[in-house]
Amino acid sequence: MKNLEEALNTERVVYSEETIQARIKELGSQITKDFYGKELVVIGVIKGSLYFLSDLTRAIDLPVKIDMVGFSSIPDTTSKTGIVRITKDVDIDITDKHVLVVEDVIRTGLTTAYIIQNLEMKKPRDITLCSMLLNPDRLLMTIPVKYYGFEINDLWLAGYGLDRDEIGRNLPYIAQIPKKK
Amino acid sequence: MAIITISRQNGSLGDEIADALASRLGTIVISRKYALDNFFGEINPGTLDRLNESAKFFDMALPGSDRTYADILVERIRALASESKDKDLVILGMGGSVLLSGFPGAIHVRVTASETTRLNTIAKKYRITTDEASEVLDIGDRKHRKFVRTVYGKDITSPEQFDLILNTDRLSVDECVDAIVELARKHDMRVKLAESNESSNTIDHQTRNISFKNETEEEFARILSLYNIEWLYEPKTFPVEWDAEGNVTMAISPDFYLPKFNLYLELTTMDQRYVTKKNKKMRLVKELYPGTNIRIVYKKDFNELVDRLKMFGGFGDNS
Repeated sequence: MKNLEEALNTERVVYSEETIQARIKELGSQITKDFYGKELVVIGVIKGSLYFLSDLTRAIDLPVKIDMVGFSSIPDTTSKTGIVRITKDVDIDITDKHVLVVEDVIRTGLTTAYIIQNLEMKKPRDITLCSMLLNPDRLLMTIPVKYYGFEINDLWLAGYGLDRDEIGRNLPYIAQIPKKK
Repeated sequence: MAIITISRQNGSLGDEIADALASRLGTIVISRKYALDNFFGEINPGTLDRLNESAKFFDMALPGSDRTYADILVERIRALASESKDKDLVILGMGGSVLLSGFPGAIHVRVTASETTRLNTIAKKYRITTDEASEVLDIGDRKHRKFVRTVYGKDITSPEQFDLILNTDRLSVDECVDAIVELARKHDMRVKLAESNESSNTIDHQTRNISFKNETEEEFARILSLYNIEWLYEPKTFPVEWDAEGNVTMAISPDFYLPKFNLYLELTTMDQRYVTKKNKKMRLVKELYPGTNIRIVYKKDFNELVDRLKMFGGFGDNS
């Protein structure tokens, strides 16, 4: 039986627990300042943002409401790539509210664009994005990422919510893993 | 912004569709009644009755003027359309499709239904027999045709003047409104993009039928659609180099435009030797057309995106 690090074959620690927590404190303080006196709903994207959402919201000193959205692709006989569906919609009414969408990582931005479009239909006052990790070189979409923890490149990563085939989310830090063959 | 003209057969629910459409768009219906109330100043009751009764009276000159009611009607509706830059406009009847034929961005809709449906609608609406309804229909249809023939010399029933013909035998008012709104929204996007060429010196490259150059483009379009991201294919050409005589010697037509994100995407999934040339073109676009968001989708990005999406049942976080 392998332990978690062995199962993931981790190569090196990219962001330690301490580094992550220190950055989250900074983000939390900034968000607290920016949204002071405003009605804020924080929405995490299932499942990757699980730990980040949990730590970030506890670093925000405001009476925020918290919800989550989930989506996945399902097979479609007419296309090689299937179709994307919302599997968990927001339960809180976000009409006319400030919304902060929390993601684990934004790379191409396609999934984020999809989520933003869906949330926009509920007529929030505005939508702001916060991602733990951001790869600006691969970002295709013009999406407003106001807050992010760290910039990354094309590394393959696991931990702190990020997975490989659903394994590795509970690793308390972010590690580099070998690229999938 | 949408300018929508609605022509309808009597009893086809055209009036109801116009009302529901205007309500959906947050505007009012410009109808014949609206025109009579607002376009001609104060009208004495006798003249008003005549204008309501027969189209031929629209050829009368206004008191103290050499201009006819028809002249004023045409002028006012065209003025409303020209001034409606950022507003929606719903014009019911009055030969709107003829009046605004070829007007940029205008969508011309004809609402029809079978005679049986129309008879039943009229009979129910006015609580009359179907025989009486038949008479009402005859008179109403004749009046509509006559109005357009008299005022503009055109036939309102000829289909080629309409962008969309709806048959309400089986469609509800709500379904018809959905179809019109969606058509108007998409068409407006194309019109705005075409208009933007005037100020930016770019070239309109939009076609009415998409023909992808290769499978990669087709697959990428599918991926965007999968994410519910609206796209237009090669809608614009950006000239980036000219010769001494001003002839375009180098240009780029980005493969996709995403209106929602005001973003052009160029795929370089072909031989990577061409990437350098494309990078140069992209740099020139950014220099020559400031404010244009344009990005390259590299082969690596595309392949990874496709691979990830093929794994049904969820996205890995590395996608």
